[in-house]
Amino acid sequence: MTTYIVRRLIGLLPLFFGAIVISFLLMRAAPGGPQAALAGIKSITQEDREKWLRRWCLQAEVTPVNMVKEFGGWLGVLNCDSDTIPEIFFSAQGGLNVLPTALGGGDNGILHGDLGLSIRAGRPVVDVIMERVPATLLLTSTALVLWVGIAILIGTYAAVRRYSLFDQAMTFFAYVFYSLPTFWLGLMLIFIFAVFLRTSGVTDFFPTGGIITTRDWPPFNTAEYWAAFGQRPLAALVDVGRHLVLPVFTLVAVNIAGDSRFVRAAMIEALNQDYVRTAKAKGLPSRTVIAKHAFRNAMLPVVTNVALELPFLVSGAIVTETIFTWPGLGRLFIESVNASDYFVLMGLLLVSTIFILIANLLADVVYAIVDPRIRYD
Amino acid sequence: MSDQPLRSPATSRVTPLTDTAATDYEVALESLNQWQLAWRRFRRHRLALVGVGILGVMVFLAIFGPIIWPYDPLALRRDLPGPQGFNPLQMPPFGSDGSGRSVFVLVANGARLSMLIGTTTMLIAVTIGVLIGAIAGFFGGWIDNLLMRFVDLVLSIPFLFIVLVAARFFGAGELVPLILIFGLLSWPSLARLVRALYLSLREQEFVLAARAVGVGDLRIALRHILPNAIGPIVVSATLIVANAIILEAFVSYLNFGLKAQDISWGNALARSQERIAVGNWWWPFFPGMAIALTVIAINFLGDGLRDALDPRSKE
Repeated sequence: MTTYIVRRLIGLLPLFFGAIVISFLLMRAAPGGPQAALAGIKSITQEDREKWLRRWCLQAEVTPVNMVKEFGGWLGVLNCDSDTIPEIFFSAQGGLNVLPTALGGGDNGILHGDLGLSIRAGRPVVDVIMERVPATLLLTSTALVLWVGIAILIGTYAAVRRYSLFDQAMTFFAYVFYSLPTFWLGLMLIFIFAVFLRTSGVTDFFPTGGIITTRDWPPFNTAEYWAAFGQRPLAALVDVGRHLVLPVFTLVAVNIAGDSRFVRAAMIEALNQDYVRTAKAKGLPSRTVIAKHAFRNAMLPVVTNVALELPFLVSGAIVTETIFTWPGLGRLFIESVNASDYFVLMGLLLVSTIFILIANLLADVVYAIVDPRIRYD
Repeated sequence: MSDQPLRSPATSRVTPLTDTAATDYEVALESLNQWQLAWRRFRRHRLALVGVGILGVMVFLAIFGPIIWPYDPLALRRDLPGPQGFNPLQMPPFGSDGSGRSVFVLVANGARLSMLIGTTTMLIAVTIGVLIGAIAGFFGGWIDNLLMRFVDLVLSIPFLFIVLVAARFFGAGELVPLILIFGLLSWPSLARLVRALYLSLREQEFVLAARAVGVGDLRIALRHILPNAIGPIVVSATLIVANAIILEAFVSYLNFGLKAQDISWGNALARSQERIAVGNWWWPFFPGMAIALTVIAINFLGDGLRDALDPRSKE
């Protein structure tokens, strides 16, 4: 198993490299580029600007050689303090620039944990991304857990009671919600909860924007917020929980449809197997047959499917976050595209590409673990 | 045929001849080719017929809507009652948006671009997907390996991120770049499917038979294998249309899509969130319903086609 995982990880490297090359080329082909964006900031000195241009190997002209240099600088293989050929590969400490900083390498580029500078925020991209991660993970993981759980319940029950009223109703709702654009569902929820129910005095319990009530709490995920959180943890959790309801509902409603159909199909497949007939024939109660024989086998493809859905955690809520002004990665992405904040965009692409590749690997590994018939050696 | 009552397949296909005594033990087989059988199965799929009906209405709306209701979608009414615009009762049938454009005219005009984007994206994606999948599956070996690693590569790039970035930086609000972006990113899963079909079909006896009588590679790939792979390809193609319509709505809703004067369904409800707080629900509601109905209809149609075009499905 370990050999298999290691071999797959090595196999992922060319894919990873190819994906970041494509992301990089796309960004560099965009009009202006980070140079123009850097030049647009009035608050930094000419000296700092040149320092940054050198740090990320940003070149004045777009030529093939310069693109390679910029890519090498972004990766952290090249050190553009010097331009001559052998020196460009070595850091100021004298070692190969690609080595870790502690071993005499440089400290620039993604290999050394430097994703560049957010031009919009004027801070390192790593910080800008990391401060958005908690909000996104809170939203997406809640939604993922809920919808997978509910989809398994619905799908299993629909398969056991196939063609019943419940099954047909669920099939109908699956079709409908599968076809709804996420943002449209979000807009309708906002109307119902922010306008209709509030003005008719029924409830204003579910806020339709943000992650916290801004007049009661300091900005989310700042030191002050966590201090206030420590003082009144219960009130803070209730506040965030109320804000979670509508965006989570939107994500669950749209995503539950496909998964419940998947579970239903897997369960029907399992129920049609010979061992289920055998179990029934030897007189086991149908509860045992369903729970122990069919359900456990039906879960094999479902587990793999869930593993393949993990990239959703990072990049699945772009639109939902935008509509509900949720301060997460999706909104950061939209804001960064609008501001042409290149380093942030490349950082986000990098993070979500890694998530996709890891999820693919995880799906295969998990399948091999849960299904004893599969052996990769 | 359609006005006949539904009979069991056996009776409708096999008709005993009773006019002459000599042939009273013979039966005449009404021969049906693959397409007639598929059509027969399709007609029996009730949801698929509903889907075709809805799609028919939408296509009618797209073609004739702007002719029957010849209003400029960009025309504004200045006498707005308030920031929420006219409601559906004041300005039938669908009310107006926040600046006085008729939502119905927006929906009727938007149908054209949304469906155009859906179908052209599908055509591009199917052309690339079938070509790459067929070459990989038919030739196998290193060509297959190379092409499939390329497919893996495209699939490992975060789709929505790259669509939005490309639409922002290269789309410039124009129709053709947007369609190209959608089409060039929508083919990989279809290519995988076609490759799998070709891999299994090329080992079948009829391919061997064709080879034995001296049919060339190109002709085998196009005339012998492709028709047998057409069912799953058509089903995927319908799903690509549905996905492209939703994708366009996403991209336009986020203001990364077409420019404001080109009306699509997504564009029709862009910026509608600003007016929700003052009670204008009809502006996003109706274009969204148009998208949802069309996508549901296409999914129904795809389901019907899957059953109809699967040669192994029971009559």
